[in-house]
Amino acid sequence: MSITLESIRRCFEGALPAQIATCALDGTPNVAYLSQVHYVDSEHVALSFQFFSKTRENVLANPYAQVQVMEPVTGLQYQLALQYLRTETEGPLFEYMKARLAGVASQTGMSKVFRLRGSDVYRVLDIHCTEPHAQQDKPMPENRMPALRACVQRLAKCADLSSLLDELLAGLARHFGIEHAMVLMFDAAAGRLYTVASLGYAESGVGSEVMLGEGVIGVAAGQQTPIRIAYLTGDYAYSRALRDRLGDCEKEIPFPGLAEPHSQLAMPIVAGGRLLGVLYAESEQKLRFTYEDEDALMALAGQIGFAMQAFEHNGESVDEQPGAPAPSASDGTEVAVKLYPADNSVFVDGEYLIKGVAGAILWKLLRDHAQGRSEFSNRELRLDASLRLPDISDNLEARLILLQKRLAERCPFLRIEKTGRGRFRLAVERPVRLEGNA
Amino acid sequence: MAQTADLPLLSEAHAAFVQRHTSMNVAGRDAHNRPALARGLGIRVAPDRLTLTVYLSTTHSARLLQCLRDCGAIAVAVTRPTTHETLQFKGRVREILPLSDEDRAEMAAYQDSFAAELEPLGYRRDFVRQLLAGSEHGVAVVFEPTAMFDQTPGPKAGEKLGEKP
Repeated sequence: MSITLESIRRCFEGALPAQIATCALDGTPNVAYLSQVHYVDSEHVALSFQFFSKTRENVLANPYAQVQVMEPVTGLQYQLALQYLRTETEGPLFEYMKARLAGVASQTGMSKVFRLRGSDVYRVLDIHCTEPHAQQDKPMPENRMPALRACVQRLAKCADLSSLLDELLAGLARHFGIEHAMVLMFDAAAGRLYTVASLGYAESGVGSEVMLGEGVIGVAAGQQTPIRIAYLTGDYAYSRALRDRLGDCEKEIPFPGLAEPHSQLAMPIVAGGRLLGVLYAESEQKLRFTYEDEDALMALAGQIGFAMQAFEHNGESVDEQPGAPAPSASDGTEVAVKLYPADNSVFVDGEYLIKGVAGAILWKLLRDHAQGRSEFSNRELRLDASLRLPDISDNLEARLILLQKRLAERCPFLRIEKTGRGRFRLAVERPVRLEGNA
Repeated sequence: MAQTADLPLLSEAHAAFVQRHTSMNVAGRDAHNRPALARGLGIRVAPDRLTLTVYLSTTHSARLLQCLRDCGAIAVAVTRPTTHETLQFKGRVREILPLSDEDRAEMAAYQDSFAAELEPLGYRRDFVRQLLAGSEHGVAVVFEPTAMFDQTPGPKAGEKLGEKP
């Protein structure tokens, strides 16, 4: 095969329909249009199976097919000789194709018609360009390696999760030109993801939650598969679905995402076979993210995963020399902090601040602060039975970053300040009245 | 649904539909039932609507043309990009001829209409020109449709609209 599948991946963006020819056992050919040709790996593609059709009947009897795809910029046409192998009706490939099909269906006004029944996996036997003189003017796909390298270099300097997240988002903006992105951490006990860092939104949305399986982020997390959608689709939009779900809204932080993303890219962050979170980028532009972006961000997500895992393991170590204690000057108007033990939600002067593990941590810190303490270590939080922390995999550091950012956004008179590795200080600048029985 | 041999499968409306603004793709197969595929460069319906002539490029669809010569079985799908309205014809190739002046005029008129169809979708002329590359080395494939199907995506996709014995 002189033309590689990688070199023609732009043909699989779904901008234009592909065609498929098959042949019945009696020798009658059939030609039909395809919504989606999906790149699986260098030797396989998957086709969307939406209807019980002659095409399907034919390939089940005679597995050979010829698919024609178009390069969306140049109009060059490529023909793929394929052999049908199997149909997948669940799992990462299926969920990825389902999400992409929703984008294509919406773009082509076919949302009511298209429903993915299965992903038909084919071996690619041969690739042929119909244009005899195509080699000279074949466009090179954009090279993302320099951007990836620059990001990896930034990450290599980070010694904790907080700087890792900051550098990651700064790197995406600087080297990939990404304007809107966020990192969500997986809360395994609760089965959902929470936003811990974001880029390019009016409200950071730190602390907002996405359920597993919900939208592009939830599906990417649940299936541990990257998902890239090139067009606006209602099926995977967050804004409306989330608002519907959050009728009361009282204890919810709004999801920061764009109301109408035309391109979405969700990368699971996995290390040691364990889901740690999701890296998500989006854009108001359609076709914003390419296969090359997907490759690069997937590599970056892998890098992030290993770093997060490493920080989890050494997050318990503590600097020998804790920073000098700074006296907290608590003056001004008294502020009422109330804990609801059912879900550890904390309200400050009647306004929702945070809940769950981060809520329990804040409550513990404030109680200890009332006893005259302001210096803390990650280790003591880990060992504090009252917090009922999940096991080490829960990533205490991510909870602290979440709490730190929520405080900075909502209650600047309460601050978490890092004083060294595994150590921090709670600064309280107004008198606090604690209301709760935990 | 079966029709007598001297009555056309296509109505006048079908004939008008296929000849302008559409994207068309042609399939055949080899002696081992392996399919072949290429883009059609225009289509003409005979005045009696009993035969159709689809134009193919000898430089860009050599394998398909060989299959059509060897085996004669042909399938042609015709779709309108802005509406997704789609028909598929199945039939037998009668002959493969060099282009006449009339064929060339027909191809040119079709290709203008196709470019006009794609323009509002954001595709420029040079893109369409590449899609239809090889037209200067065209041949006319005359075939007799023996079955016609509605292939517009949706609940009626695959419905047989007519068949000849």
